[in-house]
Amino acid sequence: MKQQTATFRFALPSPPHWAVRLDVAQPPRAGQYVLAECGGPLREALFPADVDADGFTALTPRGHPITRLLPGASVDLLGPLGNGFRLDRVQRLLLIAEADKLSVLRPLLNAAPAVTLVVEGPTRARMPAPDSLPPAVELLLVTLDGSVGYLGPLESQEPAPAGQERIGPLLAELIAWTEWLCLACRRERYPALAGLVRQARLQPTAHFAQALVHTEMPCGVGACDVCRIPTRHGEKHVCTDGPVFDLLEIGNE
Amino acid sequence: MIELAPTHKYGLSLPTPVMPAAGVFGYGDVYRDLLEEGVLGALVTNPISLRPRNVAQGQRILTRGEQVLLHTGLPNAGAKAILRQYGKYWERSPVPVIPHLVATTPAETSKAAVLLSAARGVGGIELGLAENVSEDKAVELLHAAQDSGLPLIVQVPFSRVDALAPRLVEAGADALTLTAPPRAVLPLPDAPEDKAESGTRLMRGRLYGPAVFPLLLNVLARFAAPGANQLHVPIIACGGVASPADALTCISLGAAAVQVDVLVWRTPGVLREIAAAFKAL
Repeated sequence: MKQQTATFRFALPSPPHWAVRLDVAQPPRAGQYVLAECGGPLREALFPADVDADGFTALTPRGHPITRLLPGASVDLLGPLGNGFRLDRVQRLLLIAEADKLSVLRPLLNAAPAVTLVVEGPTRARMPAPDSLPPAVELLLVTLDGSVGYLGPLESQEPAPAGQERIGPLLAELIAWTEWLCLACRRERYPALAGLVRQARLQPTAHFAQALVHTEMPCGVGACDVCRIPTRHGEKHVCTDGPVFDLLEIGNE
Repeated sequence: MIELAPTHKYGLSLPTPVMPAAGVFGYGDVYRDLLEEGVLGALVTNPISLRPRNVAQGQRILTRGEQVLLHTGLPNAGAKAILRQYGKYWERSPVPVIPHLVATTPAETSKAAVLLSAARGVGGIELGLAENVSEDKAVELLHAAQDSGLPLIVQVPFSRVDALAPRLVEAGADALTLTAPPRAVLPLPDAPEDKAESGTRLMRGRLYGPAVFPLLLNVLARFAAPGANQLHVPIIACGGVASPADALTCISLGAAAVQVDVLVWRTPGVLREIAAAFKAL
């Protein structure tokens, strides 16, 4: 584990988040995180939404303690920590996210020549602005109220009401099409989403579907046991064994 | 050198009187990149039980101001599996390893204590008691843990110091950790007021943070301070210690050593700072 000092550059509104820029020698990769000392009783986990050689940008909720820093302030970081997304010479990439968790998949939007992004949210207003995404990304929207795009939830097998459409059949095609699948959803949804993968691909390779697990990670080193989750191979620490897991490993609870 | 078990045949000598509290430092190797070997006086492990325990369901951590409420259910892989995984590391440890043993039944406690004592590098056992344990049961568990043959430290529940501490010393505890974190309750953040009042949306757990430190000093003043020490065994202070000054205050109130709890997660280097302050004395 590494301890390093970052320089806080800015925090700008990026509705519904705030974009926070930190310059640091060793930034986290997509799906990895750092634990930042922000003055509270525990460190704050920051996931990169955009990474370059000089640092990274994280999207934080409004009022996050790091947004109160002054430009140029030093920030003590532990990390990069954890296992991020692992993609190998990818040509076709499918990303699936709940709207409020999309930020952790943003570094992957340029990771392949063909990227399809499926975003599910409660309603149209919570969807990402299309101009915030690279133009080459194919964006598919799923809303729980049907206000735009397909009618959610993603994994629903029920017939859609007249005039609306479920994404299920298309999703099965996309899962069959893609080389890698990366997900950022609530953990309790992963078993159902793992079921969709098993239906669409008879024998997916290990790590074909990689799912990021969101949970509190106070220590980042596997010491506190707060982030333990059940997996097919017993309980594991999200902070050190994840936060990115093979979907089929955590989708079998 | 600090002696934590002066009357025990093996003794438990520490190079410096600072160590992590149970539950904050894993089983020894997780902070090896940040803290050089030998900074600590001893390595107190995460809780260990004879059988594996799963993690608690539901909310496990909550903060309010500077305070942290924690409820993990003391998950661990069980004594045998932990020994398999960390036994070699403990063997090489430059400081004594003190496994924190979760007291369950006397039979299980005895078995686990004997298993753990067989590992080289283990210098003593810290026994963790449940908050609601009866005095007789506590003594029974202590005797079971003594089957290890190693020096025995008992971590006394915060609300039970008056009742348990004298009994445990009388029964043969070599040292006491005062105290285990107090039990506390907080409303869950999204709980509507009416539900919080009815108790259906509350989180119960152990309380950590600076608010615990004055409570610790009160306990030390009553049980450990020079002239007031009714216990006549070394006392390890535990609860909200956040700086070298805090640690020195505990020592001035009669503590023989200090444990640092969840602050280690935010500032692992605080252990080094406290050890340096002791060295400078």
